[in-house]
Amino acid sequence: MTQNAGLYIHIPFCERKCGYCDFYSITRLDLIEAFVQALIKEMAMLAPAFESVQFQTVFFGGGTPSLLSPSQIHHIFDALYHHFTIHPDAEITLEANPGTLNREKLEHYRELGINRLSLGVQSFHPGELHFLGRIHTAEDVIHNVTLARQVGFQNINLDLMTAFPGLTPESFQKTLEQAVALQPEHISCYTLIFEPGTPFHHQLINGKMQPVPDDAEAAFYQQARQFLEKQGYLQYEISNYARGEAFICRHNCIYWEYKPYLGLGPSAHSFYDNQRRANVRSVQAYIRKLAAGQLPLQFRESLTLEQQMFEYIFLHLRLRKGLDLQAFQERFGTDFVSRYRETLDRLLENGFIEPPNGFLKLSEKGWLMADSIATYF
Amino acid sequence: MEIKNIRNFCIIAHIDHGKSTLADRLLEYTGALHQRKLQEQVLDSMDLERERGITIKAHAVRMDYRTPEGAHYVFNLIDTPGHVDFTYEVSRSLAAAEGALLLVDAAQGVEAQTISNLYQAIENDLVIIPIINKIDLPNAQVDAVKHQILELIGCEEDEILLVSAKTGEGVADVVQAIIDRIPPPKGDPHAPLQALIFDSSFDVYRGVVALIRIFNGEIQVGDKIRFMATGREFEVEEVGTLLLKRIPSKKLTTGEVGYLICGAKNVRDIRVGDTVTHARRPAEKPLPGYRQVKPMVFAGIYPVDSQDFEDLRNALERLALNDSSLHFEPETSSALGFGFRCGFLGLLHMEIVQERLEREFGQNIIVTTPNVVYKITTTDGEELYIDNPAKMPPPVKIAKFEEPYIDAHIITPPEYIGNIMKLASEKRGILKNTTYLDPTRADLHYLFPLSEVIFDFFDRLKSVSRGYASLDYEFAGYRESELVKLDILINGEVLDALSAIVHKDRAYDYGRKLCQKLRRLIPRQLFEVVIQAAIGSRVIARETVKPLRKNVLAKCYGGDVTRKRKLLEKQKEGKKRMKQVGRVEIPQEAFLAVLSADE
Repeated sequence: MTQNAGLYIHIPFCERKCGYCDFYSITRLDLIEAFVQALIKEMAMLAPAFESVQFQTVFFGGGTPSLLSPSQIHHIFDALYHHFTIHPDAEITLEANPGTLNREKLEHYRELGINRLSLGVQSFHPGELHFLGRIHTAEDVIHNVTLARQVGFQNINLDLMTAFPGLTPESFQKTLEQAVALQPEHISCYTLIFEPGTPFHHQLINGKMQPVPDDAEAAFYQQARQFLEKQGYLQYEISNYARGEAFICRHNCIYWEYKPYLGLGPSAHSFYDNQRRANVRSVQAYIRKLAAGQLPLQFRESLTLEQQMFEYIFLHLRLRKGLDLQAFQERFGTDFVSRYRETLDRLLENGFIEPPNGFLKLSEKGWLMADSIATYF
Repeated sequence: MEIKNIRNFCIIAHIDHGKSTLADRLLEYTGALHQRKLQEQVLDSMDLERERGITIKAHAVRMDYRTPEGAHYVFNLIDTPGHVDFTYEVSRSLAAAEGALLLVDAAQGVEAQTISNLYQAIENDLVIIPIINKIDLPNAQVDAVKHQILELIGCEEDEILLVSAKTGEGVADVVQAIIDRIPPPKGDPHAPLQALIFDSSFDVYRGVVALIRIFNGEIQVGDKIRFMATGREFEVEEVGTLLLKRIPSKKLTTGEVGYLICGAKNVRDIRVGDTVTHARRPAEKPLPGYRQVKPMVFAGIYPVDSQDFEDLRNALERLALNDSSLHFEPETSSALGFGFRCGFLGLLHMEIVQERLEREFGQNIIVTTPNVVYKITTTDGEELYIDNPAKMPPPVKIAKFEEPYIDAHIITPPEYIGNIMKLASEKRGILKNTTYLDPTRADLHYLFPLSEVIFDFFDRLKSVSRGYASLDYEFAGYRESELVKLDILINGEVLDALSAIVHKDRAYDYGRKLCQKLRRLIPRQLFEVVIQAAIGSRVIARETVKPLRKNVLAKCYGGDVTRKRKLLEKQKEGKKRMKQVGRVEIPQEAFLAVLSADE
């Protein structure tokens, strides 16, 4: 495993499940303590294999990492630094629900070295927050961003959601404006996806919820782009905006730039040595397996060269800077342009990509069609 | 075996009236088949036949029956195909028999197809034994059905046998009636050989196996024989009788039914209805009734992936070994590339071929909209038969445009006559007359353009009559019609595989509905897709499939790239199943959209 690796830690607990979310989490908070012990065990078991790796990023995702008590987080950090080498300037992100924060927690995070805070905001409209099943208010967001600034956070992300049923361009505009008013360094703006297994999907199937037509979805998407770019945010990925290069999320870029990462915790995914792995999607099974001295793996695949190339392409196409043709040649030993000439000609002719000039980049028009375009490769 | 103890017969019945069950009972009763060996419905041996409950190929089974008094009889049950597509095959099977069991379901009563086969049997001078089956059913209406039968064949009431093939009740009476009422075959074993071929199939080890009925003379291994219609000569390798499998014998003689193997490698050499005779001492003339079967319905069959063309050819060749009525020849379509123009006896036959290609041969194919064969007289006086709308001459060159018509009988309870007449007029039917078989059954005699009947007519007839009406038809020659060629354009280019010939008065409606249908079937893609229907250069309908505005998943599942890749791979797979026409991806269903354009 090379340098420039990322470390992801999944904290699978929530006070309440949101109707749209299909990330793995449970509401049985009584299992947190046992989970923390298991997580530390997993770190210990994997440590030898990652001895030579220096992690550039650490990302606490969820679930709701901010549900953990200061002492629990503390234990995890101790183990983390004990078992792994973390770069001194590593980007260390913690996802937080604005309804679960206070000054004490935020100060504690700073003390531990967390330098990036990612808040699940979604909307600033009370009715919309209720519809999405969020436990926080718009005031919580404003209050906690202020607190976070006071304790010294200089890199804050706000997650926003768009194109959910009932959203209007006017209310979305207000959300965008309120978000920008807080001057976050980073904004992620995700379109609602009806994921199988979620309550929203269930309602969709039963006809109780109507999806937003794709024309309207596209309009919301453009609205976000145009507004945020005008406000000085750089769209560096399909759904991600940063106030300048310095604030691009380094951890997410590891996924898109096809770099290795290690995932810890239930349902976490890893990618290294051209293999993809996933942990079991069950807190109980995770605890049980580790207690028995087994790695909690549920899935592992070795990628064929074809699969690697395909992944490499569709992941890079999501990035504004695109796919470096030289890097592709170096990694796969094949010339990108000659391998995909026909497809490239066709996409170029129809204006979905920019003329290849060292990089393959989607055009403005192609940006919205990234998945359709990926299927041509 | 003495000729006077042979009984050759077939069973005439509508689908589901219990033909196969009765056959099984007869086999069991005569000892040809032990009950514990009995497989459900021995006669319908192809999977497809069992699934659809119909018989596609003719079969024959011999039963050796000893009466309690010790007399020895040979029964040859000749099974007949059971669908209107196979009328000619039915007529040849009937010609091989002296008698017919007319089997009518006690709950359903007489149906159109039964009647048409019955008329054919009467024309062939067959002795009819009327049987009412399923008398054990709670909703059996034995008396009413008796009256229908009396009306139909004018027999005595006590000649009608009452049977439950399911329970076995009455089967002994059937056996006795076969002995008593069906006459033994006539013919002279010393006369020159005349044997009727009533079926042929292909055995990978032995070549073509013909089922034959000897009318005069004898045939034995080593004989030099000639097929009178094709003129082809062969040497007999094997003859024998058909129990549940082939049992070789030294010879077959006058009156007998059996099989013949002579080293022929192509089913086209041995045609159903042809007469076998000796090469050295030929019969003066063939048995009557032979005609070359002509396909009535044509469609293009194309591989989805043009690289599979040779595979498809092999599959068709192998299929045709067993199906002499399947015709095919290579053709090219500007939209679909290389493929085959295939001729079928009817739509059912087409569906069967399509299913067998997909299931048995694993072919991934596109079948284009079927059409009938049109007759065109050009301004130069030349007569052309057009089996592909794409090959039609330009309208200015056409002096006369004719289409095939059929003579159809629709049997229905009177309360549905109104609905049926409405449907018939929509399908350009011409009512010739209406007769009543009895107060509960009317026979509507219509002339229809064949093209109107091959599509969804049968299903719609069933639906407007709650399943009660039944249909039978035969070819009735060509008649002049006001027809036009309608083209479908995708992004300005004619998609030749979707061209169709339609009646002038219906072209506008048809074009509009087809465009709408295609709009629903063609998924939104990167580009706008414009669908137009046109007659010549005049566009009569237009629909647009708007380009997809957005297709990108916002998030990346927190590092779960596998899931994302699988989603994209699924989309890629979906694309593979579509045909790339220009830059537009068209799903296979679209090529058959015309079939249901009326919906």
